[in-house]
Amino acid sequence: MIAPTPITLTVNGETVAAQVEPRIHLTDFLRENLGLTGTHIGCEHGVCGACTVRLDGEIVRGCLVLAVQADGKSVETIEGLSDSGALDELQAAFRDRNALQCGYCTPAMLLTAHELLARNPTPDRATIREHLSGNYCRCTGYQAIIDAVEIAARARAGAKS
Amino acid sequence: MKAAAFNYARAASVDEAVQMLVRGGGGAKLLAGGQSLLPALNLRLMSLDLLVDITGIAALRGIRVEGGTLKIGAMTRHADLLTSPEIAAHAPLLAKAIAHVAHPAIRNRGTIGGNLAHADPASELPACMLALGATLVIQGPSGQRRVQAADFFLGLYQTALAPDEILIAIELPALASGERAFFHEYARRMGDYAIVGLAAQGKPAGDRIDALRLVYFGVGERAGSCPAAARILQQRHSPAILAEAQAALAADLQPQNDHQASAAMRLHLARTLLARCVNELLGRAEASA
Amino acid sequence: MTMQAIGKPHSRVDGRAKVTGGARYAAEFNQPDQLYAVVVGSTVGLGRILRIDAGAVAQMPGVRAVISHLNAPRLAYQPHKGGTDPANGERLHVLQDDQVRFYGQPVAVIVADSLDHAERAAAALAVSYAGETPVVDPLDAKVQPVAPQAGRAGADRSRGDADAAFAAAPVTVEASFDMARENHTPMEPHATIAAWSGDRLTLWSKSQFVVNEQAEIAAIFGMPAANVQVICPFVGGGFGTSLRTWPHVTLAAIAARQVGRPVKLVLTRRQMFHTTGHRPRTLQRVALGATTDGRLTSLIHEGSGETSRYEQFVEALTSTSGFMYSCPNVRTRYRLLPMDTGTPTFMRGPGEASGMYAVESAIDELSYKLGIDPVELRRRNEPAIDEAEKLPFSSRSLMQCYALGAERFGWASRDPRPRAMRDGRLLIGWGVASASYPCFFSPASARVRLLADGSAEVEAASSDMGPGTYTSMTQVAAETLSLPLDKVRFSLGRSDFPATPSHGGSQTMSSVGSAVRAACLAVQAELAKRAVADRRSQLFGASIDSVEWREGRLSRKGDAAAGPSYSELVTGAGGSPVEAGASAARDAAIAKQYSMHAFGAVFVEVSVDPDLGLVRLRRAVGAYGAGRIVNPKLATSQCIGGMVGGLGMALMERTALDPRDGRPVNAHMGDYLVPVNLDVPHLEAHFVEEQDPHVNPLGVKGLGEVALVGMAPAIANAVFHATGKRVRELPIRIENLLDV
Repeated sequence: MIAPTPITLTVNGETVAAQVEPRIHLTDFLRENLGLTGTHIGCEHGVCGACTVRLDGEIVRGCLVLAVQADGKSVETIEGLSDSGALDELQAAFRDRNALQCGYCTPAMLLTAHELLARNPTPDRATIREHLSGNYCRCTGYQAIIDAVEIAARARAGAKS
Repeated sequence: MKAAAFNYARAASVDEAVQMLVRGGGGAKLLAGGQSLLPALNLRLMSLDLLVDITGIAALRGIRVEGGTLKIGAMTRHADLLTSPEIAAHAPLLAKAIAHVAHPAIRNRGTIGGNLAHADPASELPACMLALGATLVIQGPSGQRRVQAADFFLGLYQTALAPDEILIAIELPALASGERAFFHEYARRMGDYAIVGLAAQGKPAGDRIDALRLVYFGVGERAGSCPAAARILQQRHSPAILAEAQAALAADLQPQNDHQASAAMRLHLARTLLARCVNELLGRAEASA
Repeated sequence: MTMQAIGKPHSRVDGRAKVTGGARYAAEFNQPDQLYAVVVGSTVGLGRILRIDAGAVAQMPGVRAVISHLNAPRLAYQPHKGGTDPANGERLHVLQDDQVRFYGQPVAVIVADSLDHAERAAAALAVSYAGETPVVDPLDAKVQPVAPQAGRAGADRSRGDADAAFAAAPVTVEASFDMARENHTPMEPHATIAAWSGDRLTLWSKSQFVVNEQAEIAAIFGMPAANVQVICPFVGGGFGTSLRTWPHVTLAAIAARQVGRPVKLVLTRRQMFHTTGHRPRTLQRVALGATTDGRLTSLIHEGSGETSRYEQFVEALTSTSGFMYSCPNVRTRYRLLPMDTGTPTFMRGPGEASGMYAVESAIDELSYKLGIDPVELRRRNEPAIDEAEKLPFSSRSLMQCYALGAERFGWASRDPRPRAMRDGRLLIGWGVASASYPCFFSPASARVRLLADGSAEVEAASSDMGPGTYTSMTQVAAETLSLPLDKVRFSLGRSDFPATPSHGGSQTMSSVGSAVRAACLAVQAELAKRAVADRRSQLFGASIDSVEWREGRLSRKGDAAAGPSYSELVTGAGGSPVEAGASAARDAAIAKQYSMHAFGAVFVEVSVDPDLGLVRLRRAVGAYGAGRIVNPKLATSQCIGGMVGGLGMALMERTALDPRDGRPVNAHMGDYLVPVNLDVPHLEAHFVEEQDPHVNPLGVKGLGEVALVGMAPAIANAVFHATGKRVRELPIRIENLLDV
């Protein structure tokens, strides 16, 4: 029998202490233990990208990180990043451009785009496509997503100038 | 689908990790970035008793240049390699290859050591190690040993690592003056594992290429060096020499049939890649293959 | 009435929920005291279960039940044929006998107190089989084609003498096509949470058709439909896989009843390739005869598609061949290939996408034989009426689509010779194909409540798997009621809402939209009736014919003064919400008068690396005649998404089966290739102006399917133009283009 392991981590700015089985991946922990269901599950082997979250400020596949590995670290999800306003321009642009349909890939897509803009505030379309290419979308055909990220980049640049 | 149950332990040092592996017998396995191991566990392609997490060992991280040698800690992440000025300057082949490894979220977790120890035949990095003449530094219960890349990759997901050994560092000779790198891969879908890829480095000299190392990946059960083809290409370039080298790939590579691609197709693609490699290293306008 | 809502590019009303992670999908409705179920699938592709060692597994930690055919309740399985169920055959009766009909068929379900415990037990459950080798390859000599017994496109059709005309034709093309099986592969896995309360069952379940899921489960359990409630406000992509109610829904309900607690069951991605339907592999033959100036004299289209042994899955594989072209001699033939597989199901553009791939490829081939531009060839054979039904089209803008698409694409500068266009080393090919899909309009109902604050609540069972049902229905209601969008709240995804047809076949806008409009008119009529009868109303005593709605106010005809608003009327009537429901359905007489279809023309550019056989899509333009466009922003997105679905069909998507046991060998997202961002270039979708007063009261034709149809043949035709090599199988792979 496997004993649960105690972990303490920060999730969206709040300290969370829990006992988890080592086999539980971070996405399941967020969804099932904490009820943060904005992080989705698509393939559970790192291919589709729907489970993307931020770990210590960097995007990771939540299905390829064990919850025990997040011990002592900071996790941010779509819920926390929405509340903080970090995604405001991206969210507005996604809605304006209809860069989402069923919405299942959307939170992960937003987090991935957010990381791109943090590293490269004015990416060209090819760079956006490349950076988002690990996130599947079966509905939109991607084009509106690229448009939205471009628009959000311009909005952020405008806000700073 | 989710992983079967296992125990988990965090090692604070390499010594401690080795001890855990020894105690765990064959049922213990190292957890590095987990970007290959966790998919395998989630798909229940494998199971184990104990995961020993070595990502917290600070001594295993970092890139530095000592003399003519680039030293890379095994837990250095792909994302760090991709942005490292040292890698860009001294191992451009590796820099080119890393850009092809999966996607940003994966590169934020995946490590060079984890990748090499996994020895996936379709992975870019084992081929780079062979092409660069890497030395792999291994620590086990009886101390450290150094293994040449050519002796490290033994077969499909198989390496020279014993179950209680840890790959701790990679040493690469820095790019010598006049050396050039070539890296390219073909995938059915952009960004995917290659069905054929080529990592190569050599010293163009007029219309010959000296000290050429050609290593294919995705073709056979492990990254495949092509010494015969490379020897032929040390002669003055001509269409006949290129054709001879392309013909030699059949013996060098011995490609496999599998559900991804046929052996004949892989050999064809490998030959096409060779022509592109030679043209690029010699700075020739791309001719048709 | 001012036009303020319909036709405008409004942003989706569910956008905020979806960009903040607030939208809840089926697996996210966890219930108190919930247990977890895991399906155990057969590891043989055909045979009989000999033994199930449930005893050992039942003792494992946390396990609450091990349910198999040995101990499962005998279920009623009363007859039920929903709109998306095959008309012939009988659905799989899950856990009711020891027969294994296909690989992955559920043979047991484990219930445990955690998912971990359930998975461990499922992995440990020993099942032994008397296995046989299944027949899973349509080319296997053991496959016996059968004629479908019924269905939308079941019948063989013939006019003139197509075979004689083909034999006599001066120019002919004859070709065979093989199209791979596809799986829908939506982002969201199938999931059901089942909870019983006495004899009432609630299912939070991924579904594109909640009222059918309600009826199906009621029939399976032999209980009144009113005792089953299905809830599904959001669907994480469907494309057809959530139209039918698959066995896992029944298993969740069985499990929950057995353990007396709510049970959650989520299929693994791998299981999604076993028992949730697929686009059937198809084999087709097309023979065309033409005069030397390019008039079709014969069109023969024969096709067959795989189905299971226990149901006849029928799709409209050959139906467009009767009306796409003017041709005196046409013969179509459709057969089914029963094999040891689960029953296929509708997948985006079902039938038409597969059938038109073959015919549009053959037409392209004919254009090269004739030396006539493929667009011009289609123009020369454009029919004046539907020659199969001998009916006029309600509207048909195919030639306008070609004109618009050709202009936007720059088709005029195409060099017609194969291998003539290059970009450096790359071969460039331009291809084109037609698209069509029927305009369905199935009976639907909706309900509207006007509240004292002047806002409206609108309800219909329906579904929104992504195209924008929430938004478009809000627009229809706002337009009909002359309310701003934010005064309308549209709800869907509950089986106790007014019934609607399946959220498939591109019929939601036409059917549910017409019902919403009718319900809005009904609630206005109800309000007017009350107003003229209300002594306190300024309209008291007016005849109902003398009042009219203007800008959301009830006024006397001919009187410029604005009458009372909704708020005033509802408040005046006591303040309780005023509710009305209504239904809409196609006028049967209209259906006999017109042939009703959406049309489109798709232009693509591909590059082919001649040394590698690698095909990349470089750009695409789709032009569609789809009636009235309710929301151009959402419609454009829907079309581009459909085009990318067609890209997957053309170059990537293929479910491969192990011939030894029928196991899908690439049953996960790493090996079942769908287009990723880097695979997709610049795409354009355009709409031609089209007014169609016949299809439905809104004049909409539907978009979801027609947007996918046409893309695959356009790409295949472009590959020929680039390479001079005609590939007649999908997906087109490197192997098809390299001679190695």
